[in-house]
Amino acid sequence: MTKNLDYFKYLLSPIILSAHAYGMWMGGNFTWVGMALLLGVLFFDGFLKADYSIRDLAHAWIYDVIVSITVLASFVNILFYAWLIGHDHFATTASGVGAFLSTLFIGFVIGAPPVHELFHREGLFLRWLGRIGQCLVFDPWREITHVVTHHMRVATPDDPDYARRGDTVYGHFFRTFPAQWKESYHLEKMMWTKRGRKWYDPRNAWVFKATYFGIFLAALFALGGFKGLLLCSASLFFGPRMLLEVFNYCNHYGLISATPGRFQNHHTWNHITPLVRILALEITNHAGHHDDSYKPFYALEPDPNGPQQPQFLLCVLLAFVPPLFFMMVKPLLKDWDKNRATPQEREIARRENARAGWHELNDEPAPRAPSRSAMATA
Amino acid sequence: MQVLEKNPAVETRAGHCRITVRGRDGSETSFEVKRNDMLLKAAVDQGIDYPHNCRVGVCGTCKTRLVDGRVSPMVDLALSPLSNEQIEAGFVLACQAKVRTDLVLDVKLGNGAQLPVRTVSALVTRWQRLPGDVIDLRLKLDDAVAFNAGQYCTIAESGSFTRRSYSYYDVPAADGSPAGEVGFLVKRLPGGRFSEWLFAEDRSGIKFWVEGPFGVMGVDDLDRDGLCVAGGTGLAPILSIVGDRLQRSETARFTIVFGVRSEKDLFADTHLAELQAKAGDRLRVIPILSHEPTGSSWAGLRGLVTAALTPALGIDYRDTAAFICGNLGMVEAVERRLIELGVQADRIHADKFVPSGTP
Repeated sequence: MTKNLDYFKYLLSPIILSAHAYGMWMGGNFTWVGMALLLGVLFFDGFLKADYSIRDLAHAWIYDVIVSITVLASFVNILFYAWLIGHDHFATTASGVGAFLSTLFIGFVIGAPPVHELFHREGLFLRWLGRIGQCLVFDPWREITHVVTHHMRVATPDDPDYARRGDTVYGHFFRTFPAQWKESYHLEKMMWTKRGRKWYDPRNAWVFKATYFGIFLAALFALGGFKGLLLCSASLFFGPRMLLEVFNYCNHYGLISATPGRFQNHHTWNHITPLVRILALEITNHAGHHDDSYKPFYALEPDPNGPQQPQFLLCVLLAFVPPLFFMMVKPLLKDWDKNRATPQEREIARRENARAGWHELNDEPAPRAPSRSAMATA
Repeated sequence: MQVLEKNPAVETRAGHCRITVRGRDGSETSFEVKRNDMLLKAAVDQGIDYPHNCRVGVCGTCKTRLVDGRVSPMVDLALSPLSNEQIEAGFVLACQAKVRTDLVLDVKLGNGAQLPVRTVSALVTRWQRLPGDVIDLRLKLDDAVAFNAGQYCTIAESGSFTRRSYSYYDVPAADGSPAGEVGFLVKRLPGGRFSEWLFAEDRSGIKFWVEGPFGVMGVDDLDRDGLCVAGGTGLAPILSIVGDRLQRSETARFTIVFGVRSEKDLFADTHLAELQAKAGDRLRVIPILSHEPTGSSWAGLRGLVTAALTPALGIDYRDTAAFICGNLGMVEAVERRLIELGVQADRIHADKFVPSGTP
């Protein structure tokens, strides 16, 4: 009986989406309902114990139906938001801000995970839905650098999604976006060159991506006018698109792989609290995903011995305050260096600690700056 | 440890898939891997001599035709070295293929057991600049490691993410005993993260990590004569293969065509002289220069290495084994030329350099 509940746990996402849509429809202060409900669930999750249970797989198709519905409902939500803007539905600043922020955070926590889940799938329909769904993360090219570059080079500086020790999330934004765009172009070019096509050949993958993204933006404009297009685009860019990079920032922060291309469970952090597992479709249960990126979320088994960070929401919030994030992550990294790294990785970690100025992680004092008199002598 | 079974009718365990490899002579051999494991890794972990080199989807050595069954490629095959025609003909890269069902494969397995891959620490015992922006790098291994002629390993400076693959130029011991010291030829690539660091100063005494051995370049009949074509530091595995065969066969004869840009880039005189001293008249070395200034005193061949590959070389191309190592374009050009000259495709053994963009 308890196992049968596994399927319905994942209805939490469509329920929050529905509440958000209802709140926007009601207008006024109800536009905050979506964000309040989402943050309330995540806050409550912070007091729950880690959940290492394995999902029931007897009727796995139910999971896929729920995830597909979540993607479609996310499309409906953003189009509905555009339509409401187009009809000047949000009469007050408070209601407009509430609708914008709720759409932004819900787009990140609820809209992005099923898109990521489905673009990793092997089945034609689900993968197609995941690819189209990349409109919801405002980047139809997110898949290619994620599946090829991130999964192949995880926990090395050649993965644009990776943050090295000492990197702040703000610096990470400036590094990761250009690196991802450059890599996307490189990979797309490689594909059309291999197939002997010109860059403008309509059969190239980028043409399909640009087309469906263009149709999506046109739909936002048709429903919400210029203001609708602008606000919806901003909510998707600053929500799912940018906050996904905060997730990436946290999830492999400072970890080190001496064997690029060959993932091992200690190359990722995990967040195994029960409600985050559900809302994020187990993506925070991260080791299994990297071990086999085609494995559906419901088949991922939490690694009870894997590296763990504090609760997900806390990590995301701390990331925006670098001194606090560093305070949280340094002891975890020190433990990782000591107990999980291979000898070769430990030596890289030692150099990375020195590079970040985190000499205390190497159990050594920081090098002293030369005194004025010494400099004068020199 | 070889686990190949000659009788593929053996029952497959739950959660496993049976991999059946069909030989061109109609023979079938099979082995078992866990469902969802990577095909190449699962095979190599069992000691199966599966053709492979880089293991990360770059070199294409593990290309395999999928006759029946289903695998999931980890990356779009258009991003692999497979040609569009090969992809459409059902070829996959074993190193990038997750096994989903029982498979029937068309691939030529080797006959020897794979040597275990190990990661060991090492210290630089020789850092010697050679002509042509090449460094002769020798490492003393903290634990001896066995390797076969023509194989390679990855090396990384202690504390660095950057790792690079290089072929051993040493000749493996005749009795198969592990080597306590190994050497590599490292070409400087302008802007290259590793080679620029290595060239910056004498790195003697620096600690490295060495992982290997990998690759299966040097497999063929021991007594068959060999034509070896090397571009630049692609000479390293050729030195190893020729040296190994000279000590294991009493009859095989070898021709090495060695291409560099100009006379001042001929970096391997010492290594080649040592090999020649052991081989006597069973070895001839033909250097060829691609960018030697017109009017210089060089009296040897000029042009790309393919220019040396003519009937005038006096080789029975139909009966020779070919070993080629160099950059991707050079190797592919040599392969095409050798096939024109009558070398059998399955007697051509190649190791293609691809400058690394990965750590």
